[in-house]
Amino acid sequence: MSQRKRASNTQSSQNKGSQRWEAVLGDDEDDPSFTQPSTSQVQKGLDRLTPAQVDLKTAEVVQFIFVKDQKKFPIRRADIVKHVVKEYRNIYPEIIKRVGCVFETVFGLKLVEIDSKNHVYILINKLEQGVTASLVFPSNPKTGLLFVILSIVFMKGGVVKESMVWNTLKKLRVDQGERHEIFGDVKKVVTDEFVRQRYLEYVRIPHTEPLEFEFRWGQRADMEVSKVKLLEFIGQVRHCRLPG
Amino acid sequence: MRRTSRGGGETAPPRQNGVPGGKGDGRAAERGDAAAGGDDDEAGCSPADMQDEDNDPARRREIRSKYRDLINSVQQNREDMLSPTNNKLTDVLEEANKLFAEVRQAREAALDAQLLVLATDLGKEKASQLHAEGSAFDPSAFAEHLLSFMGLNRLEDEDEEEEGGGASGGYLPQDAWQRVANRAQRCFRTAPSFHYMMGSFLAELPPPRQRVERQRKVPGREAKRIMPTQLRRMEESHQEATEKEVERILGYLQDYFNEDPTSPISYYEFVIDPTSFSRSVENIFHTSFLVRDGVARMYLDHDKLPCIAPVEEGEVEAGGTSSRQQCVISISPKSWKEIIEVFSISEPLIHPPSTQHTE
Repeated sequence: MSQRKRASNTQSSQNKGSQRWEAVLGDDEDDPSFTQPSTSQVQKGLDRLTPAQVDLKTAEVVQFIFVKDQKKFPIRRADIVKHVVKEYRNIYPEIIKRVGCVFETVFGLKLVEIDSKNHVYILINKLEQGVTASLVFPSNPKTGLLFVILSIVFMKGGVVKESMVWNTLKKLRVDQGERHEIFGDVKKVVTDEFVRQRYLEYVRIPHTEPLEFEFRWGQRADMEVSKVKLLEFIGQVRHCRLPG
Repeated sequence: MRRTSRGGGETAPPRQNGVPGGKGDGRAAERGDAAAGGDDDEAGCSPADMQDEDNDPARRREIRSKYRDLINSVQQNREDMLSPTNNKLTDVLEEANKLFAEVRQAREAALDAQLLVLATDLGKEKASQLHAEGSAFDPSAFAEHLLSFMGLNRLEDEDEEEEGGGASGGYLPQDAWQRVANRAQRCFRTAPSFHYMMGSFLAELPPPRQRVERQRKVPGREAKRIMPTQLRRMEESHQEATEKEVERILGYLQDYFNEDPTSPISYYEFVIDPTSFSRSVENIFHTSFLVRDGVARMYLDHDKLPCIAPVEEGEVEAGGTSSRQQCVISISPKSWKEIIEVFSISEPLIHPPSTQHTE
């Protein structure tokens, strides 16, 4: 309701169109067509709020992103706006800017928009993980599986047919057709979970009969994985002695 | 989209593939070659014949069929064609080249385009293969080394040479993948997952339980509530009823006495209800209260039969403090009937109350 008030108070004719549009959407629950407000609109919006209000909203968004990030699925801007920002959507750019600052300065994390078309964010670490961290916080075994696949793709030039990945995994006693003791439905973990998390891309090879897919690195892998460290580990593995 | 370039009539194919010029030139060249060769069927045909050949459906079908064969062979033998050890892809392309020379209609051209798409895809893959060969990364060897890293305990068993498709035999420890994950995690700059330090509890479970419990409790509570009130009501009604009855009976007694103060009221005639034994018992019970409270007195007349009379107002207190005398009256249905007979009691002196209280 306050949105409509703001719309009627505005003087600038230039922004009237988009502001009226925003006012109409102001009370809408689902807002797929969230239009990014202009800087002047943002400034006007900020003027109407106390710093405490803006800080509180920023903190709420930070917490929301933390919880949403638990599964490592990308966070949609639409969800942030719908569930947290709500009526503060006219100052959304300012809020998200501050949220990014909080993540960097307080937590050493980085909020990255990996898709500027669909407006989707991921949270990555700015700091390298130390050696002792794995002793204190044991990692998820799935990371090991992911490492194997990423290594193969990387060493094969960035694209690999899925058959190569499955054959290699079979040698490691991971079979996409059988239920794995640790990973469960391996095919689902690799082609669905890792893909949703943007660690991998599972792309159809065109003109193949029957259907075949290939693996590539996903956007999250591009941002999170240090290729140097990956190579170091691969080299370390290669030095492991084989019998005979 | 290239594949679906169908149009009516004869349209020129979308690209060159080494065959000189358009169809006109091709045809001329062919004819020229044929003429030069001298052993071709088409040597010395006239323009009219050429026209027929263009539209000869059998020939067209033949060309299309050959194209389809080529396409199928490429699809079926894809792996074979990819192999860097042979030049099968080149052979296919040369075949296609030859066929293309005879292409006249759009349908054939479309098939040619389809074949070309397949061939170029294969070509792209072959090229990427070349690149891969250069890096000399063998995933199988990598897997073997990784198994060592995981701590695979390869058993020195002569019988277990090859197990399950060339995989290493041996016992893989439980924490094998954990080991890899811990070391691999160092390569990632993952943001730590948010968890409450002291843990949290799932708020989801309690509601269903509460609902069940509440459902169970509600009938219980109500039942309990019902019981006390019922009892209370009964007690009250009992007390009230008793008191009311007693008073009512006192009323009767006084009325009858006042009718004829000199005539004594036979106790039996007073309390006995010829229509109901239980009423008679109740009357006795209620009357006893009157006696206890000292508002009525019982005495034996000259025939030694019990009589009852209300106590005079002035005598009430005196009656209360006089020496206590008790007597127990018992009556059985048999005696009750006898009394009715003997005393010829036809109707009750104490009329039953109009409303029956709950029992």
